[in-house]
Amino acid sequence: MSEPLKIVILGGGTAGWMAAIALSTFMPRDRCHVRLVESEEIGIVGVGEATLPQIKNFNDSVGVDEAEMMRATKATFKLGIEFVDWGAKGSKYIHPFGVHGPADMAHIFHHRWLRAVQQGRKSGIEDYSFAVQAARHGRFDFPDTDTSKIDSTYSYAYHFDAGLYSAHLRRLAEQRGTTRTEGKVREVIQDPESGDIRSLVLESGETISGDLFIDCSGFRSLLLDKTLGVRWEDWSKWLVCDRAFAVPSERDELSPFTRSTAMEAGWRWRIPLQHRTGNGYVFSSSFIDEDAAAEALLRSLDTKALADPRMIKFQAGRRVVSWEKNCVAIGLSSGFLEPLESTSIYLIQVAALQLLPQLPGKRIDQRLRDEYNRQIDKEYERIRDFLILHYKLNRRDDSEIWRYCAAMEVPESLTRKIELFRHSGFIERYHGLFSPPSWLSVFIGQGLIPESYSPFADTMPEDKLISFLDGLRSEIHDKVQEMPRHDQFIERYCAEAPAIPVAEGMSQ
Amino acid sequence: MRRVEQVAIIGADASAWMAAAAVMRSLGATGVRVRVIELPSLLQMVDTYSALPALDGFHHRVGLQDRKLLEACKALPIAGQRFSGWGGEMPQFMHGYDRPAGDTKLDFMHFWTKGRQEGLRSDFESFSLGATAAKAGRVPVPVKGATLGATYGYNIDARAYSALLRHCTLQQGVESKVATVADVEIEGERIAAVILEDGERVEADLFIDASGQQAVLIGQLPGTEFESWREWLPCDRMLVASGNALRPYPSFSQISAFQQGWIGHFPLQDRTAVVAIYDSREISDQEMAEKLPGLARLPINGDAVVSELNQGMRKRGWVGNCVAVGESLFSLEPLDAVQLHITHNCISQLMTLFPVEAEAFPEAEAYNHILRIVATNLRDFQLAHYKLNQRLGEPLWDRCRDVAIPETLQRKLDIFAARGHIPLFDFETFQEHGWASLFIGHGVIPQSYDPRLDLLPEQEQIASVHQRMEDVISRVEAMPPVEEFIANPARENSVPAPSMG
Repeated sequence: MSEPLKIVILGGGTAGWMAAIALSTFMPRDRCHVRLVESEEIGIVGVGEATLPQIKNFNDSVGVDEAEMMRATKATFKLGIEFVDWGAKGSKYIHPFGVHGPADMAHIFHHRWLRAVQQGRKSGIEDYSFAVQAARHGRFDFPDTDTSKIDSTYSYAYHFDAGLYSAHLRRLAEQRGTTRTEGKVREVIQDPESGDIRSLVLESGETISGDLFIDCSGFRSLLLDKTLGVRWEDWSKWLVCDRAFAVPSERDELSPFTRSTAMEAGWRWRIPLQHRTGNGYVFSSSFIDEDAAAEALLRSLDTKALADPRMIKFQAGRRVVSWEKNCVAIGLSSGFLEPLESTSIYLIQVAALQLLPQLPGKRIDQRLRDEYNRQIDKEYERIRDFLILHYKLNRRDDSEIWRYCAAMEVPESLTRKIELFRHSGFIERYHGLFSPPSWLSVFIGQGLIPESYSPFADTMPEDKLISFLDGLRSEIHDKVQEMPRHDQFIERYCAEAPAIPVAEGMSQ
Repeated sequence: MRRVEQVAIIGADASAWMAAAAVMRSLGATGVRVRVIELPSLLQMVDTYSALPALDGFHHRVGLQDRKLLEACKALPIAGQRFSGWGGEMPQFMHGYDRPAGDTKLDFMHFWTKGRQEGLRSDFESFSLGATAAKAGRVPVPVKGATLGATYGYNIDARAYSALLRHCTLQQGVESKVATVADVEIEGERIAAVILEDGERVEADLFIDASGQQAVLIGQLPGTEFESWREWLPCDRMLVASGNALRPYPSFSQISAFQQGWIGHFPLQDRTAVVAIYDSREISDQEMAEKLPGLARLPINGDAVVSELNQGMRKRGWVGNCVAVGESLFSLEPLDAVQLHITHNCISQLMTLFPVEAEAFPEAEAYNHILRIVATNLRDFQLAHYKLNQRLGEPLWDRCRDVAIPETLQRKLDIFAARGHIPLFDFETFQEHGWASLFIGHGVIPQSYDPRLDLLPEQEQIASVHQRMEDVISRVEAMPPVEEFIANPARENSVPAPSMG
């Protein structure tokens, strides 16, 4: 067996430790050695974070126990995101991790609902989403595995302290063979001919050599940008926000969803954790000055602030490639999209996992690198377009940012999707984020009601349609009432280390 | 805002009846009326459709049972296609219709690649359930709960199939009239009416052009120029003839390359269709007809029929109130049993994007966009055979080897050669195992394998390889031979037809 690949991860945090644990878990020990270099001195952009259901797959596959993880990270469950004031002022809707309608009616349900609405029915589509109703009523339980049941029609994710999460992963990764080195990088040594990165020289003088480098150095992008000079692709003309203030506040009611509230010059997040609430205001400095933004955030808090607001600057966009020469950027070093749909950790997960099948030998095969970059391109673009969708479909006209966004030109593929939905309620299906139920919730939620609906929805006799919808709404309502409250569920499942064993059927 | 109420289908043969059946089945209950203007059939007695397994989905949707297909169309189940004479180290290879594994475990491809590096001699296809079944003349009937799976398509007598579909469709309430088209009245980008030779003015909310290469409707509309793919697919002629039936019945079709193209043997119950696809720049029709019996190694019964083959695609398939389905939109040689699949795919997309109203058709853009991707993927698959040929010193084949291939195909080849993965995009017909079988068959062996394989101890890896071969052998032994299958066809539709109504 040829010599193991030396992989050096620069930077800890969620990006570094997710990459470390993925490599340490899924690669045979004699295939690669993983070393992570981080400095306690360097602040990590750690705010209370929301995630997507894919994180559970990741955790399961690397052997992270759910309850244990949630206890360690003060996590709560997330059934979706509530968007307040993104449509007209006063409107609110939930983008759920689940479908609208019953389990077996995937692509036709919303057409049936549209038909009923056109015929005078007054109930919103949210009445027919189990996940939305559970979220609105502050309930949580694990979905039923019987896919014919109405309470199987959703999945879930978490809110957690990302710093605690990466610490949790670190323990596991180190157990599996990742070596951790404390230190700050003073110099990066490149091969004079190829330009490949050969080693990192720390301030202590220690030199760390490697075959493959993973840049998890955050916004600084010490390797991909500062050393290899990979260009930046700017998306700020569509996603205009360029700052965020973050501030923790006292624990509030544990709603099982993230809240995003549109503000004068951006939007505010509210992330419930077990021990406190994470808050932030993502804004555009072109439309509000920093002090006003900080004030607006503090004024809007539901509970008492626990610190001063901290600001970060950013720009929406990404490096034109994530993998250049022998360096792969994961996390903020590869690009940034605002956390409107909780996609930051998802992008890290994808970047880490996608590296596994393409993991090179000592000599980097360009074909593998190109394929990796192509996969990551797709992921970023899809998310970007979905975020743009939120801004484009806003129905506010009470401040400049909203007028700008409603009027801005957007990518052609997005325009096509919007126009087709407007015409007929049609939603394109494709692999990856975001699924049709996601598009549906944002379209309808932000007030884009189609002019017509699929003729296939006409095949159900009218009286049947009405009784079907009535029945479904009641079924969902009744089932949700039976569910435990989210805060009580957390209490029992993962609040403190249990004195008695966890009740049966609670753990997955 | 008015719904589409009247649909007029102008065309002939399978395309027209497939379209009519699909629309009627799905939307007849909502009051949509379907009328077929039946143009003269282009089918000859010798014509044969070779159908991919996916066509079963269409049959299920329109209620056409396998038993009927076998009886009426002298069909034979086909578990794969064998390719010979394409050059290189392997004299021939079998492309079987395997079913994807479905679980998330590492693809067997990597076990084989590593095994080969360590000295494993067995061909990749000995681990393919479909290929092994095909070689043994067996039919891969579904087995409940099995993770290892294969499926089958059919060779079908074209005229009989067309007649069968016509009969089923007319029974559902579709109107039809035998006619030819004298004129098409166009207003901007819409068809106002189709004028028949007897003077009748046919109006409709939606016109479907199922007239094959004639493209009597779509060809009249703006922005529908035909773009040829000849630079990649050089053959422009199809010669079809019949030979005796092969007994016992094989469960595969045979594709043999020769100097100026390839010969296909497509077995049916009562005859064997012999198809020559060739480049008229390399050999004349006359010479080809003379050469056929020798190349076919089968006595030819009756006449051979020559027709032109124009491989390529129109720039737009849906313009205004007119949608082209099948060969009126794009056309490919029958190298990988794609001809009916083209029609099936178009109709499938049309039903997904069926217009919600009769005045405006924004769905058209999506249809055109999607079908372009579908067509590109199918073209790339067939083109790969030509690109990877190793018939050295023959002008046709040398040219095909040297041509620059589309980026989409190059990428697949590159990644496969590097690591044994197949990057799939949206709207792909052939899945990973299909592409892998094609590439390996033509001699492209991955240079490395997915490193996660080595998480498994060496012993386990070896055991997996042995187990797989044993599974394939024992499964094939349990499969019925073709004659037995014909007497008792059993298709379990594991996935219910999508409920669109």
